Amino acid sequence: MSLVNFTAREIACKIVYYGPGRSGKTTNLHYVYDRVPDSRRGQMVSLATQTDRTLFFDFLPIDLGQISGFSTRFQLYTVPGQVYYNATRRLVLQGADGVVFVADSQAQQLDENLESLQNLQSNLLEHGVDIRNLPLVMQYNKQDLPRELILAPADLDDALNFRGVPSFGADALHGAGVFETLKGISELVLKKLAAGSPA
Amino acid sequence: MTTRAVETWTLEPLAGFVQEAGARLVLVMTSAGQVLAQHGFSRAMDVMSAAALGAAIMASTDEIARQLNQQPFAALNHQGDRHGIFLADVPTNRGKLVVLVVYDLDVSSLGLVQLFFGQLAADLRAASPKPEVPKQVLAADFERDLGNSLNALFGR
Repeated sequence: MSLVNFTAREIACKIVYYGPGRSGKTTNLHYVYDRVPDSRRGQMVSLATQTDRTLFFDFLPIDLGQISGFSTRFQLYTVPGQVYYNATRRLVLQGADGVVFVADSQAQQLDENLESLQNLQSNLLEHGVDIRNLPLVMQYNKQDLPRELILAPADLDDALNFRGVPSFGADALHGAGVFETLKGISELVLKKLAAGSPA
Repeated sequence: MTTRAVETWTLEPLAGFVQEAGARLVLVMTSAGQVLAQHGFSRAMDVMSAAALGAAIMASTDEIARQLNQQPFAALNHQGDRHGIFLADVPTNRGKLVVLVVYDLDVSSLGLVQLFFGQLAADLRAASPKPEVPKQVLAADFERDLGNSLNALFGR
């Protein structure tokens, strides 16, 4: 849950990048880390296996600066995508203010995307959170791959985006859509705060 | 060394603990890793990384305890060559908090930290207010500020 300090006028929010294994969650954070000036970001923490697969989480704190007079910081987390690590994935979701679901656009990965989306819903429920009440955006990553291998964002919307939340096509490796996705989830999380309810 | 609190009710218990236990760094945070108070860190961003890791360790061990059908572990301690790390839960009116303590072995000890941690836990429990009804935080037109901030952040 977001932390708001009215005395110091500070806001801290937790955003979790969720999705199946190898969909590009860590790549999103690496791109953000590379593009944000040193003074506006902390160290990127990666708890990964020897083969660079996320074991527990990646973590990147960024300073968004002043938003409506509040010094605003976002803590970006990824979860491990592999099915094997569901226990740790559930732990990272605790206290999330918003979720970016990073789907793999490859047609052959559609079942993995669906399974991960169902897993997100079930893990949120274990924390007492209804996915319908949580700020959520979809990112359809790997849109740079050959057309014959991937599904278009409109098709992925039909297959995955049951709630009609904001969705973004992306190529996280080269940065396309990364910024737009972060902006999209930031807006939803802050809108929820502005409405006077905890994000 | 500075002591700083996001929630002011945590400040006095924390300052007392730091002095008595000789702690080098201390974080008081929510179980999700949001920092309520800290002592000894110089950069806000470093605080957040330490909090994320501390909360993750506690969450992992709580989960192991759950799978063993036992109560959560009360505290964890890791001792290195020069520093020790002590990590424990504190139930309060604001929910379960996590406290991370880093101490220098030539200044303090696990025994000293444990001795005064009990007092810190009691002081935090006593000082913690009941959860508040959320207040309105941001003006409705914050989108422009957000857009400008993110554009600046990404050099656009």
